[in-house]
Amino acid sequence: MSTDLSVPVFTNQSEEELGGKWGMVIDQDLCTGCQACVAACSMENNIPFVGETDAAYGRSIQWIRIERFWQGSFPEVKMTPYQPMMCQQCHNAPCEPVCPVFASVHSASEDINLQVYNRCVGTRYCANNCPYQVRVFNWRDYADARVRPELVTLQNQLNPDVTVRRRGVMEKCTFCIQRIRHTEDVAKSEGREIRDGEVVPACAQACPADAIIFGRIDDPNSRVSQAGLASRGYHQLEELNLLPRVTYLKGESNNGSNG
Amino acid sequence: MTDKISRRDFLKLAGVGAATTAVLTGCGPASRYVTREPYVKMPEYTYNGLSTYYATTCRECSAGCGLIVRTFQGRAIKVEGNQNNPVNLGKTCARGQISLHGLYNPDRVQNPGKHVRGENVFSSDKGAGFQELTWLDVTNIVADALTKNQPDEVAFLVGMAPDHLFDLVTDLTQTIGAPAPVRFGALGMFEARTTLMKAAQELFGQSGLPFFDIGNADLVISFGANFLETWLSPVAQTRGYSQLRKGKNGRRGYFVQLEPRMSQTGAKADEWVPLAAGSEAPVALAIGRLLAEARGISLPPAFANADVNAALSAAGVNPESIQHLVDLITASERPVFIPGGAALAQNNGLQTAEAVLALNAFVGNLGQSGGVFLSAIAPLADEYHRPASAKEMADFVGKLKSGRVKTLFIHGVNPVFELPKSLGFADALANVPQVISFATFPDETAVQADYVFPDHHSLESWGYQKVATGASSSVLSGSQPVIVPFFNTKSTVDVLLAAAQQAGGSLAAALPFKDEVEFLQSKLVNLINESDGFFSAPEINTFTAYFQQHGGWWKTTDDRVAPSSADVLNRSLNAAAARLDGDGEFFFVPFVSPILGEAGANKPWLQEVPDPTTTVMWNTWVEINPDTAAKLGVDNGDVVKVTSAYGEVEASVYKYPAIRPDTIAMPFGQGHTAYGQFAQGRGVNPADLFGASMNEAGDLAFAGLRVRVEKTGKTKPLARMESALGVYGFDAK
Amino acid sequence: MAVTAKSLPQARPHAKGHEDPREQLMFDPKPRGEMNAMVLESMHTATWKFWTLAGVLTVLVLTCFVYAWYYLIVQGLGVAGVNRPVFWGIFLVNTVFWIGISHAGTFISAILRVLKVEARRPFTRAAELMTTFGLVQAGASIFMHMGRVWLAYWLFPYPNERGLWPDFHSPLMWDFLAINTYLLCSTMYLFLPLIPDLAMVRDQSKGPLKIFYRVLSLGFRGTENEWKNLQTAMNIFAFAIIPVMFSVHTIVSWDFAMATRPGWSSTVFGPYFVIGALHSGMAAVAIVLFMIRSTMKNMKYFLRPEHFDFLGKLMLMVSMAWAYFYFNDYLVPWYGGDKWEKLFAEFIEKGPLWYLWYIMLICNIAVPWLTLWNKNWRRTPWLLAIIGFFINVGMWLERYVIIPEGLTINRMPFTWRIYIPAVEIYLTIGTLSLFFLLYLLASRVIPLIPVWEVQEGQKAHMLRKVGKAEIPTLSEME
Repeated sequence: MSTDLSVPVFTNQSEEELGGKWGMVIDQDLCTGCQACVAACSMENNIPFVGETDAAYGRSIQWIRIERFWQGSFPEVKMTPYQPMMCQQCHNAPCEPVCPVFASVHSASEDINLQVYNRCVGTRYCANNCPYQVRVFNWRDYADARVRPELVTLQNQLNPDVTVRRRGVMEKCTFCIQRIRHTEDVAKSEGREIRDGEVVPACAQACPADAIIFGRIDDPNSRVSQAGLASRGYHQLEELNLLPRVTYLKGESNNGSNG
Repeated sequence: MTDKISRRDFLKLAGVGAATTAVLTGCGPASRYVTREPYVKMPEYTYNGLSTYYATTCRECSAGCGLIVRTFQGRAIKVEGNQNNPVNLGKTCARGQISLHGLYNPDRVQNPGKHVRGENVFSSDKGAGFQELTWLDVTNIVADALTKNQPDEVAFLVGMAPDHLFDLVTDLTQTIGAPAPVRFGALGMFEARTTLMKAAQELFGQSGLPFFDIGNADLVISFGANFLETWLSPVAQTRGYSQLRKGKNGRRGYFVQLEPRMSQTGAKADEWVPLAAGSEAPVALAIGRLLAEARGISLPPAFANADVNAALSAAGVNPESIQHLVDLITASERPVFIPGGAALAQNNGLQTAEAVLALNAFVGNLGQSGGVFLSAIAPLADEYHRPASAKEMADFVGKLKSGRVKTLFIHGVNPVFELPKSLGFADALANVPQVISFATFPDETAVQADYVFPDHHSLESWGYQKVATGASSSVLSGSQPVIVPFFNTKSTVDVLLAAAQQAGGSLAAALPFKDEVEFLQSKLVNLINESDGFFSAPEINTFTAYFQQHGGWWKTTDDRVAPSSADVLNRSLNAAAARLDGDGEFFFVPFVSPILGEAGANKPWLQEVPDPTTTVMWNTWVEINPDTAAKLGVDNGDVVKVTSAYGEVEASVYKYPAIRPDTIAMPFGQGHTAYGQFAQGRGVNPADLFGASMNEAGDLAFAGLRVRVEKTGKTKPLARMESALGVYGFDAK
Repeated sequence: MAVTAKSLPQARPHAKGHEDPREQLMFDPKPRGEMNAMVLESMHTATWKFWTLAGVLTVLVLTCFVYAWYYLIVQGLGVAGVNRPVFWGIFLVNTVFWIGISHAGTFISAILRVLKVEARRPFTRAAELMTTFGLVQAGASIFMHMGRVWLAYWLFPYPNERGLWPDFHSPLMWDFLAINTYLLCSTMYLFLPLIPDLAMVRDQSKGPLKIFYRVLSLGFRGTENEWKNLQTAMNIFAFAIIPVMFSVHTIVSWDFAMATRPGWSSTVFGPYFVIGALHSGMAAVAIVLFMIRSTMKNMKYFLRPEHFDFLGKLMLMVSMAWAYFYFNDYLVPWYGGDKWEKLFAEFIEKGPLWYLWYIMLICNIAVPWLTLWNKNWRRTPWLLAIIGFFINVGMWLERYVIIPEGLTINRMPFTWRIYIPAVEIYLTIGTLSLFFLLYLLASRVIPLIPVWEVQEGQKAHMLRKVGKAEIPTLSEME
């Protein structure tokens, strides 16, 4: 009987940090705040509009929002670079362990965070625990044409690949999981790996400034991995060590201020 | 692939295999009529559960971006950009994305009918104001209007899209000898296209719409051009902006915006110079003068009138910032200067455009990469047919008022809402005995019409759009229906063709087309022998099939024209600041809502997309500098009355930190009195404040106003995406 | 109960400024039958005022609880005031509040029983009832809070064909289990000491009521053996429920403390919440006792100023402990220097809702500290009830400051929003009404005074002469 006495090798990065599968890079220098991603996301993912009153009260259901702040006052006023915020698909996602019914779960195969609408009972703990505040809740039956007659014709637009959520359910950005799965199936049927850039979420597809890059971060040669290496790269709320899968490239406009 | 395939996997793979073959099917030559078929006779590419993709063209503005629309069992599901189309290269803006909410809008005009003027009713179920007609009746009515009137008693007013309708109407009016159709669009008015073209004409001696090669420049200095928002071709220009920032050889392009209110475009600038409205021309000339001095060359006549001190005092900016600009330009290799937006909407707008174009000539970027070109002329076009200027619209309104016009056809434009009240379009309509509207949506102009014969939505339509600017090559973006028409609507081209046949005689002979597709083919046939196209075909049916499949036809060459720089700097330019209209204490800067555009207010999701600068949704606001607001005693959400010499509006205050204290700004796009449940009664229309003063090119001087602002004591909080608390501090409302 | 205690002398008249240790011991025993009759009379005497109150409460419960909840379920949580980022609103404030209220019942009953504090005897029952009915409100509030309450059974680890199981990592799951355990334990603990009293009522009633009480009293006849078994069971429960009680509120605090939020993520939250719970719970006991004393017949005999005095001392002590923990909750983040914690503190002190923070401090600290030191005030039941009311308002606001205000401030300032309650207000009124209605109805069914316990105390006390002083002592029976 012998005991393995070798000292484990420590690196400055954890195993999780090196891993991951899907990732995104958002270049704040390029983002013009045009909201095309917001529109594209809502059209792809069957996100309902909530109306003026609820929107004013912070109930708009937008999986991606574009933040901006101000620095200084006139005439030295600067707008901070536009900062699109969506689910960061953390590896150490704080939303996951707090759900009592496993509605917020980690996908082992895709290494992203999923919300199981059917399982959600609406305790909203996940949303409280999300430091990025990117989870949105269905406060009413926003998507139900029986409640909102104006949707009777509009609901023809609904995407059949995405569940329409009813009231009482939490939801969030999925990295367009339906597109990921579809592309994976296509690749599998053709007996090959997914090509870089083959999966494009709705936001990245629409973005006129090409500020959003999506792809495999476990492939060091992919466009997203390369873009993420830029010295401008940072993670939102890095100090929490949530290992988010979205890398932001610091905006250099507006006197180099950092969002 | 693994050896073992489960049953579930097999089914999935079988489905996927079929899906990939169905991509980009397009319609074959045989399927140019879209008909309703029972499911048992479904076309072979329409599998249950699989999507079909159609290439078409966006008509939310006239830029002509190519779209790929995903459809699923006869429903349009998602709009994507067409990656092949040189205008947008696969990208879209928010308006394009949400065009589906126009297609499936519950408020669309669903049947043709006779309409009582002034009634906001477009369905016979809703009241006596609307009496439904059959399309046969429609043909008769239109044919009668074309034949029973004298040729000069018929007038056509059409929008900036689609172009094939404009071509048809042009042919039609030529045949019957009627005046040529008038084109108008609020975006054209706000963009000041006429001014740009006129300035190019005067300086370069060439006609055309200037093209600014933002992507290849290394320094962009924009005089009020909102090129990331709604100006000319925003998606293409945003791509250019992206290239500018990515830079060449790792050198990031620099961008300076000069405008009184920081727009979304201005927010992306490295530097924002808040000059006073109307001082752009003197400042541009002053820059030219300082530049000449810095370079130590003799002052060209163009900048001879420049008075640096006068320009600085008119602009209200400190000398260092201008000197800093000159330093930037001197250090730059490929600077480009862009005039646009509110800067041109002054009574000296033409001088501003000329002064800024002269700066381009002075730095020698005309026809150079990263400089100024004249946009490529689209296929099938002899030149760019610009929309009417405000001056021409005023003349047109005068003609309507005189009562000479007996029948007015209106398509694709909503002048009652878009034109300033002071031009009196709505009143002039009272003198037109018969107004026929082809409105898809129940807009304000349709409310004033006698007949409404709804056209298809753009996603149900055939057609093409001649791309005015945005791409370096000559582009014709093609449209095709992506779904069966959702309501009982009919293509206006088909209505006019049927009416022409009904009218008989020379008209029927001149337009001998069975339907819209045949008409389109009669135009496209001119292209099949072009060699430098993206594709070519031996005969028209194959060509049409390709045209549909790829969403248009474009050249593979760079068709932009290098402007002649010969005389540009030898003309003396006027350095006077703009003369402002009115006696209020505030400059007034209206701007087109970057999200809503001029006609997006009826799309509920577009209403809920936050404005990029203020994050306001669903409403109109007045941007006031916080210091000014404190002086006026108003806070966020307080309703103020804005009064110009021509009208007044009331809207809620947004304390906007990036606006000059002597300036207020308002977005255009809301304030509809009709146009469906999502638009009606929401916000106000700043066009109510506009006067009728114009610049020398004939564009409306909408930004050359001074207004008064009064507190009303009412409060209506704005719906904001942002948290006032988090962005402006705990004491912010 | 074979002890025959000797009759005790009448208590001396109350001397001002001098506390007679015998006062709490009720040294003026009445014959057993008379005392039973007094309690029974209090149960069976109901004036028109009682029925009016019960009617009003019923109407309130039907409208503000039943209908408002129905409306909430049908319309979705949009009719409440919750939004992003304030995903948790008054429902959870109420939950924590009611759990806190329910704390004092067990505290008074179990801890004081274990510690053999004599003053507890007349009001253990009232406090235990408060525990049970408070927990009912807490549970209801949690269910109101859920987006899809019709699926609430998914929180139970029940076997199902899909093999789905709740996530035991989730603090909410701990909370769910802890509250259920507590509800179960506290109900049993309420029931055990009730058995002899139910047997007493059974013996005094006739007709169908007798059958009812016969079933409830489980055939208790008062034999030596039954008493012995009952005492053993009660002792076991009294000891066992104490850790449950502490853990429940600690676990409730973990709902917040385990979250990665500024203002919430704090290790002191466990004991701080327990103390907070006691703070509001004691105050609630004072209110309830005052109500019982002033509205029910014969209660002035059982609930005396000296009991209120005792309660007042407890309240003062708990208030000081609470203040210490509250200060601590500031001290630690201040020492840590986290900017979000600082922002949160700034927000609650200087933000738009600053007044809530000040009212909370006044109610929780200033009011008890400035009043409860005075013996005469402590011994004035109505005054103690008013102080209790203020403390409860303060403690409710404390939860309000922690939950909706704490959620307003997060690490994404772009999303901060103020919470404006809507239908929650009705449902809060509804839960309060339901609590009082349940209490009102219970007062008709069960004796609110544990008669046997009072009698036991009176019998077990004696005065021993040590030198010249008379020292009240206990017999060996307990």
